[in-house]
Amino acid sequence: MSILEQLISGLTFPNLYILLPEIIVLLTAFIVFVLELLSKSKFSITIITTVGLILAFLSTSIIKEGGVTFYGLYLVDTFALLFKAFLIMGTLFVVINFRPYFDAKKSYYGEYYYLTLFALLGTMIMVSSPNLVTFYIGLELSAVATYILAGMFKRDYKSKEGAFKYLIIGGTGTAIISYAIAILYGRTGTFDTLEIAKQVNLNNLDYGVIGGLILLIIGLALKASAVPFHHWTPDAYEGAPTPITAFMATVAKIATYAIILRIMVEAFPFVSKEWALAWAILAALSMIIGNIIALKQENVKRMLAYSSIAHTGYIVAALAAPTGIGISALIFYSLIYLFMSVGAFITLSALEKTPGWTNHIDDFKGLAKKNPVVALAMLIFMFSMLGIPPTIGFMGKLNVFLALIGSNIWWLAIVLVVMSIISAGYYLRVVVYMYMYDPVKTSRHNLAPPEVVTIGIMAIVVLFFGIYPTFFYDISTTVTSLLIASIGR
Amino acid sequence: MTVEFINAGTPWITISILIPLIFAGILFFASERLAKPLSIFASAIVFLITTYMLFAYDYSTYAIQFYEKYEWIPQIGVNYEVGVDALSLTMVWLTALAFLVSFIWSTNIKKRIKEYFIAFLVLEAACIGVFVSWDLVWFYIFWEAMLIPMFLIIGVWGYAERIYAATKFFIYTFFGSLFLLVGVIGMYVYQYFEKGILSTSYFDFIQLGLPFKLEIIFFLLLALGFAIKVPMWPFHTWLPAAHVQAPTAGSVILAAVLLKMGTYGFVRFSLPWFPEASKYFVPVMFALGVIAIIYTAMMAISQTHIKRIIAYSSVSHMGFVTIGTFALNMEGLNGAIITMISHGFTSAALFLAAGWIYERAHSYELKDLGGMAKFVPVFATMFLISAMASAGLPGLSGFVGEFLALLGTFKVSILTAVLAGLSLILGAGYTLYLYHKSMFKESLLPPEKIAQWEKLKDMTFSELLSFLPLVIMMFVLGLYPAWWIKLIETTSAAILSKIIGG
Repeated sequence: MSILEQLISGLTFPNLYILLPEIIVLLTAFIVFVLELLSKSKFSITIITTVGLILAFLSTSIIKEGGVTFYGLYLVDTFALLFKAFLIMGTLFVVINFRPYFDAKKSYYGEYYYLTLFALLGTMIMVSSPNLVTFYIGLELSAVATYILAGMFKRDYKSKEGAFKYLIIGGTGTAIISYAIAILYGRTGTFDTLEIAKQVNLNNLDYGVIGGLILLIIGLALKASAVPFHHWTPDAYEGAPTPITAFMATVAKIATYAIILRIMVEAFPFVSKEWALAWAILAALSMIIGNIIALKQENVKRMLAYSSIAHTGYIVAALAAPTGIGISALIFYSLIYLFMSVGAFITLSALEKTPGWTNHIDDFKGLAKKNPVVALAMLIFMFSMLGIPPTIGFMGKLNVFLALIGSNIWWLAIVLVVMSIISAGYYLRVVVYMYMYDPVKTSRHNLAPPEVVTIGIMAIVVLFFGIYPTFFYDISTTVTSLLIASIGR
Repeated sequence: MTVEFINAGTPWITISILIPLIFAGILFFASERLAKPLSIFASAIVFLITTYMLFAYDYSTYAIQFYEKYEWIPQIGVNYEVGVDALSLTMVWLTALAFLVSFIWSTNIKKRIKEYFIAFLVLEAACIGVFVSWDLVWFYIFWEAMLIPMFLIIGVWGYAERIYAATKFFIYTFFGSLFLLVGVIGMYVYQYFEKGILSTSYFDFIQLGLPFKLEIIFFLLLALGFAIKVPMWPFHTWLPAAHVQAPTAGSVILAAVLLKMGTYGFVRFSLPWFPEASKYFVPVMFALGVIAIIYTAMMAISQTHIKRIIAYSSVSHMGFVTIGTFALNMEGLNGAIITMISHGFTSAALFLAAGWIYERAHSYELKDLGGMAKFVPVFATMFLISAMASAGLPGLSGFVGEFLALLGTFKVSILTAVLAGLSLILGAGYTLYLYHKSMFKESLLPPEKIAQWEKLKDMTFSELLSFLPLVIMMFVLGLYPAWWIKLIETTSAAILSKIIGG
């Protein structure tokens, strides 16, 4: 056998079957990319993207058995599949709202579609990486695509400023993560999360591991916009086109939460006390700063940006309790956060098409009179974010509470309580302005069909699963037990 | 304490929660004209169902009746578990009555009629849910869900300062209930570690046997949530604001139903769950109760706004409920529950009266009123009966409960009983002051006022219809309290069984 033959026989063909969702998303992205150059019809791009995403979503349910492929660099397990399904779904609901929004803003380009698809692909790679390098590739892919997306309003100063800030700070974040990976590699000699876990267990803690872990946590916190690494978030969210903000605040965020969980649980299970404390502090800071600054915001979009920082706090607070309950609380909350957040941001994007709408809180005056259905949906999203039953947001917070009190972390539970009360101040304000003031502007709000569908579905999901959360409990506890079982893999 | 359950043949309770919700859904698509009749229809059905339950309830032994239980979130041990004992049942019935009355009353809502009735129907479902849930997660869901419609009712259909009042109401209550949630979760977690069961059922918590220290902590956490809702002094400041700004029907519900949730919470949860802590905190509760009774009675006398007087009188009456509850004996608890029911009738009627006056005279201020009685005799009579019942005139409903509560308190602490009893005089004082200033005082009236009053129309049929059930019930409860006491006696005994043995 020649050397070449030996080499080839050593190669195994990647298991493409379990990569089906990624392949579909990638192909769609390429088709859209080419079509955007050749065709004048933007509508066909919308259709193809939508169909591609629907197919990708369906394909996640075809995969019966997960597996590791690409020589152990790519892992498809229940955890990854679950998050992929929700990421694709979130993107789908965002993407169908591009057309009406960008049409109204007179900047309807095909770039939005394939960049979003690439960003989605990046997040999908992120959640199914058993390996820090794969994770890094996925992170970069999604980050670079999102930097461009955030700055797509080329003539708008705020959009450019936000994108630039996002680029600089996000770039710093990825740099920090790459340092962390390098240090961890230097100490443990491996990129694989499970191998790192074994090494950390054998050698216990030393400066190398601690340094790597700290840098990794900082980098991940920056990507998840936890305080004190949140400074890019308000500007990037406010400046970006609203559907893109919806994408950044949900899909990119949720993938980050998922990968934080995965890396922490898989690579550092034996030092869980240490990282739990670190995340607890980050969570407390995010809740406090996010909520208090959100109180002072006059611009609803910016307020929602700060509220998303606060929600990062609520979600990573679950990591302070590195138990089964904590993990499942994090999964539960990240999944349901998708619905409320997409709902709220798409409501904003639908309203923003109205001439003269600036997202200022005064613009919401009397919305309930002019458009009762949208106002009702926004009310549901606001109360869900505030955590009032019978919305799903309450169940999310309830789980985090359970996890915290179950692990005897009372101080963080109290911070969560107090900050939830403070958050009532700004969420209620939106409701007050919508319902309790008379309209000042007479302009009509025209909603495109996809927007009606998205807002309606999100509101119904938030309410229905608030009353019947069993489904989400089911998936989050199942995935948690599988994730914990995989530690000894 | 082992509890018996009598399963419901027909799920009446679930039906009475669902009917308002279903009708709220129908209203969303129905035309504005149908809003009122449909709401009255829905609440009438609920009222009939609860009345049926009131008579079908077997009060000879203590059992949870009309009991339903379905699995809901098995992963964390939460079930949908509803049922009634006499305490829940009377409260549910009161809720149904109060909503029926306020729907009949709500004729002159001018803006957003549909939304108004939808908010009220959702509120009704949540209020009933609070009183019938035996699963703590469901209890909390209803307890909080009630905030949303009430917030909108005050904020959208209220008077000038409505937004401030609505926000204050919301944030106060939300603040308290989050601590309630922390307490419940703390107990849940403790239960899991001690007994290894995941359950949020009331009946599992009751058998927890907490150590004294934890009992104190959980008692305080829960008490904060309940005390704000009651409201007990010094957490009462949201109430006058909310009452003054709320529309008439909103005030009626607030006084007749929402305030009861706090005292219901004390009776239902604090006493059986934390018997030792309850005993420990008796002096504190007595002190807060007496302060509430006397301080708010004095506040009531110094007000000039009708609704504010009634609002403060509510806080004062709730003080009686508090001391009656924490007398921790049968008389006291029976008295507290009867006072809760009676206050439901009287405060609802008084707020209706205030609303009526505002509609005719366009003012709540005492200085703009007076001398009306001669021209509107029917209304004056109704108002007088309600005011007297509220002041505790024997023969009317207010007397029975306050008498029993004082009797129970007297057995425990003479000083408390004397102080609370003295304030009955204050109670009579502000009620008479309110009635005198608003209805009599003719001699001081300028002639143009008399001319204005001469044109007043007396009560319309629908107004009378909403007053009558309340007034009739004041007489029924006042003249024949034995039936009611028999109804609640077994329940009171069961609730106190951990404290006084038995």
